Amino acid sequence: MKATFARVTENERLYGETHITWFAAPEAVRGAGPGQFVMLRCVEPAAEREPLPATELPVDPLLPRAMSIHRMRQGADGPEWSILYDIVGRGTAWLASRRPGDAVYCWGPLGHGYSLRRASQQLLLVAGGIGVAPLVWLADQAIESEKSVTLVLGGRTAEQIFPATLLPPEVEIVVTTEDGSLGRRGLATEAFVEHLEWCDQAFACGPNAMFEAMAKEQRRSRIRRPVQALLEEGMGCGTGICYGCAIQTRRGMRLVCKDGPRFDLREVF
Amino acid sequence: MNLQVELASRKGSLILANPVMTASGTFSFGLEEGHAFNVQELGAIVTKTVTLRPRSGSPQPRTAETPAGMLNAIGLQNPGVDAVVRKMAPRWSRWRTPVIVSILGATVEEYGELAARLEGVEGVAAVEVNISSPNARRGGMEFGQEPDTAAAVTQAVVRNITLPVIVKLTPNVTDIADVARAVVESGADALCVINTLQAMAIDARSRRPAIASGFAGLSGPAIKPVALRMVYQVAAAVDAPIIGCGGIATGLDAVEFLLAGATAVQVGTATFANPRAPLDVLDGLRRFLDEEGVADIGELIGAAHERRPAESPATS
Ligand SMILES: Cc1cc2nc3c(=O)[nH]c(=O)nc-3n(C[C@H](O)[C@H](O)[C@H](O)COP(=O)(O)OP(=O)(O)OC[C@H]3O[C@@H](n4cnc5c(N)ncnc54)[C@H](O)[C@@H]3O)c2cc1C
Ligand SMILES: Cc1cc2nc3c(=O)[nH]c(=O)nc-3n(C[C@H](O)[C@H](O)[C@H](O)COP(=O)(O)O)c2cc1C
Ligand code: FES
Repeated sequence: MKATFARVTENERLYGETHITWFAAPEAVRGAGPGQFVMLRCVEPAAEREPLPATELPVDPLLPRAMSIHRMRQGADGPEWSILYDIVGRGTAWLASRRPGDAVYCWGPLGHGYSLRRASQQLLLVAGGIGVAPLVWLADQAIESEKSVTLVLGGRTAEQIFPATLLPPEVEIVVTTEDGSLGRRGLATEAFVEHLEWCDQAFACGPNAMFEAMAKEQRRSRIRRPVQALLEEGMGCGTGICYGCAIQTRRGMRLVCKDGPRFDLREVF
Repeated sequence: MNLQVELASRKGSLILANPVMTASGTFSFGLEEGHAFNVQELGAIVTKTVTLRPRSGSPQPRTAETPAGMLNAIGLQNPGVDAVVRKMAPRWSRWRTPVIVSILGATVEEYGELAARLEGVEGVAAVEVNISSPNARRGGMEFGQEPDTAAAVTQAVVRNITLPVIVKLTPNVTDIADVARAVVESGADALCVINTLQAMAIDARSRRPAIASGFAGLSGPAIKPVALRMVYQVAAAVDAPIIGCGGIATGLDAVEFLLAGATAVQVGTATFANPRAPLDVLDGLRRFLDEEGVADIGELIGAAHERRPAESPATS
């Protein structure tokens, strides 16, 4: 894990109310894989001096925010990584107002990401709302290694659906919206069960209610496939030292930030 | 420049290479991989509080952000003292940095039992007695709020151990000096001042407490002025070394606590906001001493008092 002041290279509203911010700070994601995350402090470093030391950072808001690594790209001056988020509060509002050149204190890569079995050829990816963030990088990588990918994009309305044009063309996309404004009317869970038989391995990210429904539907279907869920829990530190993010699993207490955020669906739901 | 400080010299001794330590519950057991700094550079590590049997802690949500601070009700999740002795202590025994194990019992007898289990364990340099956690259903703060119960716990621990004993005090009392005196008279080598302030947050939209267990402990920069006042007060009341704790995030914060009468400091919540915080505090402290031409950190200890509370406990 490396703590650093990451330079923003680009920041825009990508679709609906969803924003993307790109950073040039490879040290914060060195060795990372899809499903891992970074912690970001959403405060302005003191102006007109090198941002270090971090002790000079304002103390409000105090706690860092967790964001999945959304995607990688080759930028003008080297590798860049991004985060994808909706504005839900102070931290995300602050992130969305960063300009190119601004510095954000952050650290990573953190947690255990998705683990793809080499033998798995057909991959089912299930995204609920902003849960699409970590799955895009997984899709990018899977297509690069010539796997077949079906990506279920679920949302309340069309506004929340990640644009198909921004995904590799090889990805098979199934869109579900609760109001039927795009794709099929319904829940991502239904599309998940329909494709379960087809896949060798499934990867999901979304709200807990979605995971609960998935687990229930899978039990009912009696189709056994390994499903990895990327969990979210309120975090203090993101690095395994505060015990704020502990959850009960079938194997006992686990820390979402350190032991997860990837868990076997059956282990938790 | 001398940064070495002494926290205990009676039965066992506890000398730190520098006065910066981690605070209990904010650095786990120091054994995570890939810390943002080298743990061996710190004065000491204090572990998450350990109980006799494993505990799974409180339900979610356990934490909430507050202005310049946070609330927590972790509920003392820990693997139990036996796992600490068997699996963790052997690893600490290879460290240069001393490891202080924080303990909490549901009864006075349990505190004594915990001390006995840690006696003679290689890799454990001292114990910190938690009579101040607001998040224990039994034990913790309830013992730390009255001088006699605080004294009883201290005696139970001191009787069962030759290692140095630090007692961690709660700010949730009428007069912290009374408790401090009772604890020192009962044989504590040093005091840690303070644990979290009992507090609360309510979510206006859901109309419910923001933390599942209702009340929680407030920490972070928001509590620094309270902690500083209490360190000053305790320093004036007792003759034992004090470890200042509460909202420390920079080297200057540490200096203020030393001036108030602390011999060492603990960095807690700041490490969540900056994973390098303990080392940044140490670097900042060094820079201050350098800029001010202070040759021995002992010069600072208690210097804000009109009359210095006691002979400087620092060694040279
Ligand atoms: C491992 C991990 C990865 C994440 N990845 C992403 C991502 O890629 N994109 C994204 O948009 N969000 C992600 N999140 C969620 C994100 O961290 C929170 O939404 C963010 O902290 C909100 O900060 P804020 O200051 O804007 O909102 P706040 O003002 O802190 O909160 C706004 C609302 O969100 C709720 N909230 C805050 N933090 C969390 C949390 N951790 N989990 C659930 N609810 C929360 C609050 O209760 C409140 O209702 C991730 C969380 C985790 C734990
Ligand atoms: C998440 C969290 C967990 C804590 N757990 C413990 C604990 O197990 N035992 C203890 O004595 N103090 C515990 N504390 C209190 C801290 O050690 C410290 O006394 C307090 O937070 C004030 O210091 P700070 O403002 O630097 O954090 C905890 C604090 C936090 C924030
Ligand atoms: S967020 Fe602190 S331990 Fe997971």
